Amino acid sequence: MGRVYVTGMGVVSSLGFGREAYWSALVEGRSGISEVSLFDTSNLPRNLAGEVKGFVAKDFMTEQEARRMGRCSAFSVAAARMAAEDAGLTSRELAGERTAVVVGTTMGEANVLGELQQAWIHEGAVRSARLPRYGTTLLPIHVARAFGASGMVQTLPAACAAGNYAIGFAADQIRAGRADVAVTGAVEILEKLEYQGFVRLGAMSPDLCQPFDANRKGLILGEGATMLILESEERVVRRGARPLAEVGGYGLACDAHHITRPHPEGEGSITAMRLALEASRIGPEDVDHINAHGTGTSANDSVEAAVIRAIFGERPLPVTSIKSMIGHCMGASSAMEAVACVMSIETGIIPPTINYETPDPDCPLAIVANGAQTGAKVDVVLNNALAFGGYDAVVCFAKPGRLPEGAGEVLA
Amino acid sequence: MRLAVTGVGVVSPLGVGAGRLREAFEDPDAARARAFAGEPTVLERAKFPEAHAAEVWGFDPNEALGDKGHRNLDRLTKYLIVAAKDALADAGVKQGAAFVSPLGGEHIGVCSATAYGSLDSITELNLVAELEDPRYINPARFPNTVINAAAGYVSIWEELRAPNATIVDGNCGALDAVLSCETHLAHRRADAFLVGGGDVVTEPLYLAFRRLGAIAGGGARWAPGSRESKGLHLGEGAAYLMVERVSGAQARGAPIRALLRGYGTAFDAPRETSRLLHASSAGVARAIRGAVSDAGIEPSAIDVVCSSLGGLPPFDAAELAGIDEALGAGVAVAAPKAMWGESFAGAGALGMASAVAWIGGAPPGPLVRGDVPSATRHVVVVAMGYYGNVSAVVLAAP
Repeated sequence: MGRVYVTGMGVVSSLGFGREAYWSALVEGRSGISEVSLFDTSNLPRNLAGEVKGFVAKDFMTEQEARRMGRCSAFSVAAARMAAEDAGLTSRELAGERTAVVVGTTMGEANVLGELQQAWIHEGAVRSARLPRYGTTLLPIHVARAFGASGMVQTLPAACAAGNYAIGFAADQIRAGRADVAVTGAVEILEKLEYQGFVRLGAMSPDLCQPFDANRKGLILGEGATMLILESEERVVRRGARPLAEVGGYGLACDAHHITRPHPEGEGSITAMRLALEASRIGPEDVDHINAHGTGTSANDSVEAAVIRAIFGERPLPVTSIKSMIGHCMGASSAMEAVACVMSIETGIIPPTINYETPDPDCPLAIVANGAQTGAKVDVVLNNALAFGGYDAVVCFAKPGRLPEGAGEVLA
Repeated sequence: MRLAVTGVGVVSPLGVGAGRLREAFEDPDAARARAFAGEPTVLERAKFPEAHAAEVWGFDPNEALGDKGHRNLDRLTKYLIVAAKDALADAGVKQGAAFVSPLGGEHIGVCSATAYGSLDSITELNLVAELEDPRYINPARFPNTVINAAAGYVSIWEELRAPNATIVDGNCGALDAVLSCETHLAHRRADAFLVGGGDVVTEPLYLAFRRLGAIAGGGARWAPGSRESKGLHLGEGAAYLMVERVSGAQARGAPIRALLRGYGTAFDAPRETSRLLHASSAGVARAIRGAVSDAGIEPSAIDVVCSSLGGLPPFDAAELAGIDEALGAGVAVAAPKAMWGESFAGAGALGMASAVAWIGGAPPGPLVRGDVPSATRHVVVVAMGYYGNVSAVVLAAP
């Protein structure tokens, strides 16, 4: 039992690699949205995404390592190595049975499967050496192998809430004594079929991602990976590490309503948010900021706004959606947002929701519009995720020592 | 760990219901013959004359789910929903659509595993996109390509509003779902969970395993646990255990069919950097030791191992060596996959359902070695992944 801290973070994003590059871009309000180059979109009415450009796997791993994995695993390993370095940990310090690796995703190694199926459909055969590279379970396994970790390796495909699921679950395992340290986060890559499917669902904006704006036209897909190093309080003290933030409690619920649409009254989301507060031993008045799911779709944003109002009333709590800059990174999104939560706590800066032009009366929130907010107290942040399948997950992050004793622990 | 199993739901090549599973153990040879005797619908004989796969024969979704609302669901989703209905009814929680116990839908969650669950739907839509035009992708079928869709539909169909978690750890997923369940119950995020999962036979999966030389095709010998086996046979199925705190089960007067007592997991990477596949006896031993230790029992208390022996000699040999190392060479080892084939995450779920059946009086089997006592008190269920990942769970008599 005890507190669990974030001690390092690694990022692969359309805005850059590493937490500093990523964070500077978020604070500046830069957009990572560009034309898709990974596959042909000429037969589709959409061509934008938050694509990670300039990623070279071999910058983060050996050629032999790079050969055995797909783009999704390569993102994960790159982010994990950056996170370890950020935490001041060597591979040797992450080796062994007491390190857990828990990774969230929506589609996993989708491009490996895509390539295999292309070969099968068009050439009638696939190379057998390529087959074992497909397997969503490989995401944490490649990360574990990067450090020599031999404890639990778990993949939690919780769609757009996967990052929150993974981070919360990893923190649980440390508190339960099943691990001392966890490499956790989430990853997603752009893949042709996924892109085509979202176009067919009519969910994609043709130009801008405008969360909570009255004229929002939908989401823009993105990709990326974020890995966090979580450590027990005892271990942080023992090695003299500097905790960036505390992982508080988290709340989960299921809408059990519709596979793609949120519950119209946000029932599951309200439950998850309440449970996150309860598990963190705090009330709504203690929360300083919400990093919203904020996809830019009509249904999500109005429901999410109603949920926030249901919990926080008319209080002008700063809310932002960084999806306006990096797009909807699906399974990776709440992990990408977790970095923003932790950095907001570290710096007191809340990154903006860009492209916010016209307030929507259905989304009466204090949106941090178009420019970063500075100077406010940001001690406690909620990271919100409402996902496909009715998965709702909210994680609380806080300045170290800010949450009461027992936050995140098993309720009596 | 001390959690109550109050219900079991099963969809397997032997039919729907845990009762079919219990019957199968009375005569494993006959069960195996039944499991592989149907007329294939996925791997059609005309196209795959050498294939032997155990499908869920004669599954009628209209009979199980009614005639509306499931047209666009994939096969795995239908199996999972039926297994969920079966488990909820067996636990005395629901009769049909109605909740009939204090455990309402807001208190029940789902921890569901699959290894290759969305592969069928991804293939279906890729064929449309590649051979026709992406504009013809059916948006109503697109959600099936997302891994957690199947578990999400279980919550929707059964109105289960507590947390829903999908776990993808290859063959180990259903056992790892036990850890998710224990974690969330400890934090009181729910009062009960459906725990298990499933996988289905698909053409791309068969082609992939055949290409890897892992299928015992035609008349080649298939014998899980034997060095002479030439590969595996694919199977499919889904199973859920209804799992709740013992105090909760007792308070509502639910039948406690078994106890989940321990969980262990391990990862052991291959020594060669370039390798991915790895049969690790050390991983097996460590996962079993972890589960037995978590259960607070001596290794000698294990009556039988519900193994994941599937017919791939390197993996079977490593598993048996790991079992020997953790529990001694005298422990009885059963290989249920010898009855219904390799169904990946589904096999782990069916393995746990098998253990509950054995604890309930069914004879453990089919045995590849050793003898079992007249009453089964402790079973360790093992799931061995292909990458050096292994998980184990201990189930015990109540």
